[in-house]
Amino acid sequence: MTLIIERAGLTTVQDYGRPGWAHLGVPHSGAVDRGSFLLANRLAGNERSAAMLETSGGLALRASVAVTVVITGADTDAYINNQPLAHCKATLVHPGDTIRINRVLDGMRCYVAFTGGVHGLAQLHSLSHDSLSQIVPMPLTAGSEITLGVADRLATSLDVPIVPRRLPRLSLHPGPHHSLLTPEQRQDLATQKWIIAQDSNRIGVRLTSDALRRNEFPELLSLPLVRGAVQLTPSGELVVMLADHPTTGGYPVVGVLASDDVDDLAQRPSSTTVVLGW
Amino acid sequence: MQCEQRVPMPGLCRVPGDLVAANDSSPRVIAYGPEATMVDGLVAGEAAVVRTAILHTCAEQHVSINDVVAGARSVVITHPRDNAEVVRALLSSIEVSDAVEISPVVAPSVTLAVDYSGPDLDYVAQQCGLTSQEVVTLHSGAKYVVEFCGFSPGFAYLTGLPAVLHLPRRATPRPRVPRGAVAIAAQYSAVYPRESPGGWHLLGVTDHQLWNMTRDQPATLTPGTMVSFEQIT
Repeated sequence: MTLIIERAGLTTVQDYGRPGWAHLGVPHSGAVDRGSFLLANRLAGNERSAAMLETSGGLALRASVAVTVVITGADTDAYINNQPLAHCKATLVHPGDTIRINRVLDGMRCYVAFTGGVHGLAQLHSLSHDSLSQIVPMPLTAGSEITLGVADRLATSLDVPIVPRRLPRLSLHPGPHHSLLTPEQRQDLATQKWIIAQDSNRIGVRLTSDALRRNEFPELLSLPLVRGAVQLTPSGELVVMLADHPTTGGYPVVGVLASDDVDDLAQRPSSTTVVLGW
Repeated sequence: MQCEQRVPMPGLCRVPGDLVAANDSSPRVIAYGPEATMVDGLVAGEAAVVRTAILHTCAEQHVSINDVVAGARSVVITHPRDNAEVVRALLSSIEVSDAVEISPVVAPSVTLAVDYSGPDLDYVAQQCGLTSQEVVTLHSGAKYVVEFCGFSPGFAYLTGLPAVLHLPRRATPRPRVPRGAVAIAAQYSAVYPRESPGGWHLLGVTDHQLWNMTRDQPATLTPGTMVSFEQIT
């Protein structure tokens, strides 16, 4: 049960990550958009945390056996041979067929699950590629093989695909340093038109603005960070922690985004805007 | 290399019930978004012990949590959203003074052999008004405890550095610090578990492999571990 990578593009293997190791400095890692990840496994008939591919495009795979594939997450320009591959549809791929995910059309990443799940030698109980720690159990390069597990349940399709949600406003829950903010600063965070910075990645999303306000918060002792933690930097920018975030940090954590809102933010292309609110 | 002995529990003479007191100088339980909770306001040396107490209490009470992570003066617990109230109530019932009772009476202890030939030894000596050998004697003579881990897998922040050696970190971090580098910055000492960028002052190097994912316990230095450094002669 294998697939051969013809072109890896911007692709990593991801499962639900490495819970339980953060106290040793190991990032949680795992799929960035958890909602899309869980949906892909559900449709593929897999265990909820089964490993799959997370890609931002440039991926080409050749099947050596018959396999069922499901794509979720950002809308993509995807094909099996020359036939468009629809989202949220369990699609049979025949031996010799090529799956291509050329690019994401609206969003940042899509999830490519195979019935049976991606198998391999885990590191710290996970197959996830961690971009911060460089824990990379399965490097993907042209020519490498992906092994699949045995499918023991049936895959299903959705009549109408679920695309990543994009709310007009993401909700900030108070973080541990919320009380450091003045009422004006709180108001400011909720009225800025935040812009997703180009250098956002699996570690975090940097939010900048045309009207940043510097602040003079004292340097903090290192405190544990969580996915969705919103750090306020001295320049007034925000950094929102994603899957590969460091386990501790020293900037004030003024707010926290709930899990679904982290998924939403993580799928927004750079240079687009986002509004936050308390 | 490793042995077990009783852990001293410095700074745990806090009054019962003080985790719920809501001022900055005493421990308190605060929301860290909907899926995490923070115990803040701990003093140096408490975080690792409180972390162990939280793990123990949650297991005993069958409260489902995901991760318990120590920081410099805080512990953060991640948990399912639906569990927030239960976790927060449970945390508020833990007394820091009781954490000693709940924590295991043994903590691992490790001695690391160090070749004190680091590139910053002379600079540190000069900044502290000491000779290089005095810096080595002070650093290797102190007893350290892992307060928390962070920065990279297996990187442990060790408290116990003599105050005379407290220096701000380098103005410009080095792009590459070698694996095993023994370093100091502010009130901490640490050993770089692998090659990485770093802004700490490098006093020496140890051969000990602090991080190895093929071991059952990948990190040598875990929160609460007691550490000594021994000069290679």
